Amino acid sequence: MSLRGHHKSTKEFIETASFLVVRLGGSYLALPADGVHGVLTSEEAGHEQAVTAAGTLYQQVDLAHLLSVVADLSGLEVRTVLYSNGHSHGAIRVEQVVGLTDVERKNCLPLPPQFQCDERRWFDGVLLYGDLLVLIVNPAWMLEEVAEVESVAGRETAQLVTAGPLTVGGSC
Amino acid sequence: MLRAARGQQQIQATKRLWNVVVFSIGGMRLAARTEDVGGVSPWTESIPVPSRTPFVQAMLKRDHQVMPVYDLATRLSLTLQGDPLLCLVARHADGPMAICIDAAVPSLEAVDAAAIRPNISRDIETLGSVTINGDEVAIVALQRLGRLG
Repeated sequence: MSLRGHHKSTKEFIETASFLVVRLGGSYLALPADGVHGVLTSEEAGHEQAVTAAGTLYQQVDLAHLLSVVADLSGLEVRTVLYSNGHSHGAIRVEQVVGLTDVERKNCLPLPPQFQCDERRWFDGVLLYGDLLVLIVNPAWMLEEVAEVESVAGRETAQLVTAGPLTVGGSC
Repeated sequence: MLRAARGQQQIQATKRLWNVVVFSIGGMRLAARTEDVGGVSPWTESIPVPSRTPFVQAMLKRDHQVMPVYDLATRLSLTLQGDPLLCLVARHADGPMAICIDAAVPSLEAVDAAAIRPNISRDIETLGSVTINGDEVAIVALQRLGRLG
């Protein structure tokens, strides 16, 4: 075996995934980092139901409500995470942004099967972040409500477009 | 022939005895087959998990292992007693599962399988109940505890 070949064989390919770790109520949650488009302070996010950033509208996602978690969203460390899966865009308020972490995929554990209800859709699994046990949020589920709102809005726009000429024609 | 019969008798005698761990929750004595118990250790703080599964709303982290917590005390409407509380690891069919139990150190007992009666109470999954030191003790079916459907 050549030296080059040997060198190549000792190099291990480690598959990692990046997550933004946040806190909501007593739970630590991990959001797949590839969907994070930004993190805003409460001041930057404002008090509207939706946040517009870089020309994109991010609908408010009440993750605490969706998870039935009691969260105090009045603290100084509250942040709004702008999240997108490419199709839907959500603004998620969290109590604290803990940090960004790269985790080897083998260290992402499935949710134990004893959890048998809705939480199986809510979470893709768990990971260890230092001493913390963090729940990996399923972005598709998290943005489901936003997707529905966007879809209804899309349909209404389409109807308006369809109705447009008649309405315009009628008024003329 | 005689040896074979004696051997069979010994097997039957062995089969007749169930080794159980007797523990308590809120002062209520319960038992579990020793093979269904993965260990007993001091209780450590559990981590809440948003969940709609009844009585499974937390996890426990031990080194690099995580396991769900089954809140048997709440299911039985009992309050855990003593300090420090203990953790009984159940060898559940779906993987290890932690149960917080009273501080009273569990004991080992051997019970006659023939003395195990079907449990009338349907509060929890059991393998039956048995009288231990004058108390009626339910043998909890740890392997299927909390399974829905």
